[in-house]
Amino acid sequence: MNKIISGKAFIVRSERDYYKIKKEVILIAERTHPDIVIAIKKVTAIVTEIDNKLCHAAIISREYGIPLLMGIADATKNFKTGDKVMVNLDTKTICKIK
Amino acid sequence: MKDLLKYTYLLDLEKIDANIEKLWNRYQKILDDKKSTWEDLNEARAILFFLGHMFTEEIALGSLEKRVKFIKPMISLDNFLLAVDRKDDSILKKYKNNKNFAKLRDFYLLVKGIKNRRKGEWYLDEKRFNEVYDKKKPKDYF
Repeated sequence: MNKIISGKAFIVRSERDYYKIKKEVILIAERTHPDIVIAIKKVTAIVTEIDNKLCHAAIISREYGIPLLMGIADATKNFKTGDKVMVNLDTKTICKIK
Repeated sequence: MKDLLKYTYLLDLEKIDANIEKLWNRYQKILDDKKSTWEDLNEARAILFFLGHMFTEEIALGSLEKRVKFIKPMISLDNFLLAVDRKDDSILKKYKNNKNFAKLRDFYLLVKGIKNRRKGEWYLDEKRFNEVYDKKKPKDYF
């Protein structure tokens, strides 16, 4: 699995938001929900605020082999949809890139 | 909820499943019933939080962490979860006839069943819950 993933951020605040994903994105949410499967093929990485091995994002990440970064406090506030971001799974960080 | 916790301690899968369904049905009944009171709706809220978060992410996780240590040959919780979720035969074949592994896997699949449960438009029927709950919220709520 690639340890560094870059792409455009997509902030999920409601389950409806999954239906708005049209291109490949790095999905950022407090937590994910079952509707994520609608857009799963376009999700190159998932970033969540919560950190739990049995949370929905963790299950989805294992099932689909999608890179996952959990426990990023205020991620949905610090990033916005369209931001270019880089996720580093080794350092467990996400940052904006130009 | 106490029973669900008790049967999780006992790892009685049949009763765990039955208690999950009992709680879910009670939750649905409260949301369906137009006569549900504010107190009923807070019972529904408690069930939602218990099933959606406390049981799945705290109690079940703790149970898995504790019990995976009894499986031989040894396997970490991360590898156990990965093997089950990915259906990874290279790991699963080592535990093909291992009763403890099979039981823990089936327990985890029950928990996953909750995490993937949706009704109506949202996970665990949360949208409907929020609508009904807000409608009944007292004006002097704080």
